[in-house]
Amino acid sequence: MKTTVRTVGQISVVDLSGKITIGEGDVVLRDKVHELLEAGHKKILLNLEKVSYMDSAGIGELVACFKRAREKGGTVKLLRPSGKVEDLLQLTKLWEVFEIFAEEQPALASY
Amino acid sequence: MAAATTVRLVLSSEVRLVDIVHAASEHMAGLAGFGEDDALNLGIAVREAVINAIRHGNRMDASRKVDVLLRARPTSITARVRDQGMGFDASTTPDPTSEANLLQTSGRGILLIRAFVDVVDFKYREGRGMEVTLTKKRNRRTKGAPRSTGAATDNGGIQQ
Repeated sequence: MKTTVRTVGQISVVDLSGKITIGEGDVVLRDKVHELLEAGHKKILLNLEKVSYMDSAGIGELVACFKRAREKGGTVKLLRPSGKVEDLLQLTKLWEVFEIFAEEQPALASY
Repeated sequence: MAAATTVRLVLSSEVRLVDIVHAASEHMAGLAGFGEDDALNLGIAVREAVINAIRHGNRMDASRKVDVLLRARPTSITARVRDQGMGFDASTTPDPTSEANLLQTSGRGILLIRAFVDVVDFKYREGRGMEVTLTKKRNRRTKGAPRSTGAATDNGGIQQ
């Protein structure tokens, strides 16, 4: 999985592409969010538009990022999950946990 | 496709090998005539069964093997995943969708398996490890619908 980070005002938008799976994508996601939080960037928007799927480890890492940010007074929100990723968020009921947005502007305005 | 086509993979307990099994499962589903979404669903379910076998069955001991048998038939595809661990009771695993467990960072693998295939059978083989058999039938909607377990009778013809 690949990540690029854009900074929009005080918000870090992390564009993810690939799959968030055990031993690879989950580690990349963990490291990137950790790096942002340690650098004091507490408003994080994960753009999932180009994520093809996740496994249970990847889903677990999304939850871990959510909790880690909250512990540090920050927020992790999700942008544009689609296809299988949306299915997985619904199935696991994490759709009810995360703030999820279909468009970037409303997501940015929500912080 | 012939009446039954089989592929067998035996891997050491390393998570970096999970992608190989996932890819083989999706490819077999494609050969059997499954659509892309169903093939991905099968791939994810088999992936989760293999992750469980590596992590919880073989406890990440690379010297222990995970044995995967994929069998495609005209109307279904079956994956049998065996580990060399001590087994577990799938019926007692906590529900990861209950409010108390939503923020757990693990424990969703069996939920995904049940959702993405039609039949799941968990069986402990005394002294030989856990065996999980997944069956996905063609032309049936499985997305997002948790399945019952432990009462499977259709195992796709895989020898017990």
